[in-house]
Amino acid sequence: MTRLRRPASRRGGGPLAGEGRWALAFLLPTLLGLAVLSAGPILATLAISLTKWDLLTAPKLVGLDNFLALLSDDRFLKALRNTFFYTVVSVPIGLVVALALALALNTKVRGIAFIRTAYFLPVVTSTIAIALVWQWIYSADSGLLNQVLGVFGITSQKWLSDPTLAMPSIIAMSIWQGLGVNVIIFLAGLQAIPSDLLDAASVDGAGSWARLRNVTLPLLTPSVFFTGVLSLIGSFQVFDQIFVLVKPRPTEATITVVYFIYENGFRFFKMGYASAASWILFLIVAFFSAVYFRSQNRWVHYQ
Amino acid sequence: MSARRLRATRRAILIGLLIVGGLLMMAPFLWMISTSLKTRAEVFATPPTLLPVVAQWHNYPDMWNALPFGLFFLNSVKLATLNTIGQLLTCSMAAFAFAALRFRFRDPLFALLLVTLIIPFQVVLVPNFVLYRLLPHPLSTSGNWIGTQEPLWVGAFLGGAFGTFLLRQFFMAIPRELGDAARVDGANPWQIYRHIYLPLARPALATLAIFTFMWSWNDLIDPIIYLRDIESFTVTAGLSLFQGQYVGRWPLLMAGALVSVLPMIVLFILAQRHFVRGIAMSGIKG
Repeated sequence: MTRLRRPASRRGGGPLAGEGRWALAFLLPTLLGLAVLSAGPILATLAISLTKWDLLTAPKLVGLDNFLALLSDDRFLKALRNTFFYTVVSVPIGLVVALALALALNTKVRGIAFIRTAYFLPVVTSTIAIALVWQWIYSADSGLLNQVLGVFGITSQKWLSDPTLAMPSIIAMSIWQGLGVNVIIFLAGLQAIPSDLLDAASVDGAGSWARLRNVTLPLLTPSVFFTGVLSLIGSFQVFDQIFVLVKPRPTEATITVVYFIYENGFRFFKMGYASAASWILFLIVAFFSAVYFRSQNRWVHYQ
Repeated sequence: MSARRLRATRRAILIGLLIVGGLLMMAPFLWMISTSLKTRAEVFATPPTLLPVVAQWHNYPDMWNALPFGLFFLNSVKLATLNTIGQLLTCSMAAFAFAALRFRFRDPLFALLLVTLIIPFQVVLVPNFVLYRLLPHPLSTSGNWIGTQEPLWVGAFLGGAFGTFLLRQFFMAIPRELGDAARVDGANPWQIYRHIYLPLARPALATLAIFTFMWSWNDLIDPIIYLRDIESFTVTAGLSLFQGQYVGRWPLLMAGALVSVLPMIVLFILAQRHFVRGIAMSGIKG
């Protein structure tokens, strides 16, 4: 994608003169957006994180106090732990289940399009609507899950308020909702695999398992890599599910980093504190993304 | 012969499993529909009933009138439309510059844009809030943009990493010779963008439009941070308020949830092709 045709003449006369000015005009909105809404504010967050600021009075410079306070704030440490737990559990399971599903759905049968639609539907619906139904399914009081388990003699559980069950319950819902995106990417990857490669492997006597292991999976690693990035970044952003499922507000068993930022910034108006938490989130995501991107030489095969 | 039968059996089992899995995926939606038509007493029946004895259709008007849902829908449609227009316009312009123009700092600038694709947007919630609080607004009671709908759409007119990346991938596949030929005939970059690139990129633009519309429609954190008056609420903010006011009234809550997702489900069924292509396109090229 970055292999561009080299320009014949880099600068100066000819039909290309003045392209820089045109480029500036085309990029003006994007440059403004980068400066005031995305890249610039990352620096602004860092500046605000060094202050104590409630928006009503002038910000007061406090150095690294916010960061030090965060490291001894039990609720923040729990938020970090819960977010890691969410990531470590939901990303691998989501990928493996989606991969198996994509392999199964990659067949030509009548009606397969209809079945695929069923898997994609949760992707397009809002998390708040989805989470409302799941809150009802998980409800300790006559919820569907407890009722169904009751048939098998399993006692009712408080799925969303029991500290050990709450996070797994939220993760289960999130995997269900996110499956479709991964399946679509895997299906596109599968359909891009040249069939003559698979045919050649068959001619050489490879069974279906050997073909999967030695041809399909290696060629699918770019898709796995990409869905991994998406899931990883998404898992650090968990907010909607928590906001809807755990009322009135999450306990230490269910709070996530983004909820912590929301709560401190927009409920308690501790802008400096929320910004410091934002920066820690940014550093964590940057670190994991860098590690993940560096790992790709070892396991991702590009054709 | 027996090998073929074995394969046929395996295939049948596979399809059976897929159908069961598909039903499991659909189950929460079906349960949503069923609950929305039950009475309050039926909902708590043990064992639970699959279907209501008599469908309580009045749950829908009851829910619709409990809060100004009509207004919420108008607000969501308005904001999603503005977001879509803004993203289509400014992302396609940036994508054209990156794909078809030559200028200094092009590659580092594109790399910077890609980096912002990876940053969780919540990291910049605070500075964005502070920025909107500094901007004066003549019609707002706060005097600034907080409490107005402006923070929920103006940013869409300032480009975006995802849309620019998606469209650039598409623009790169358009042969440069087309633009060069037009240039020789005296066309300027704006005309090339407007009359060659945009018409050829229609499928990619449709994909971006659908995604932007969906994201705007489903957004929850921005409406609850910025909106204050109930008249300005979106469907998601309204549903959140409804959830708080009707705790345990599952039939009404499910009716509300279902009505709120209907536009997205209809859009998805009409435009499934574009959805799948959009996700796949941004996926395989990585």
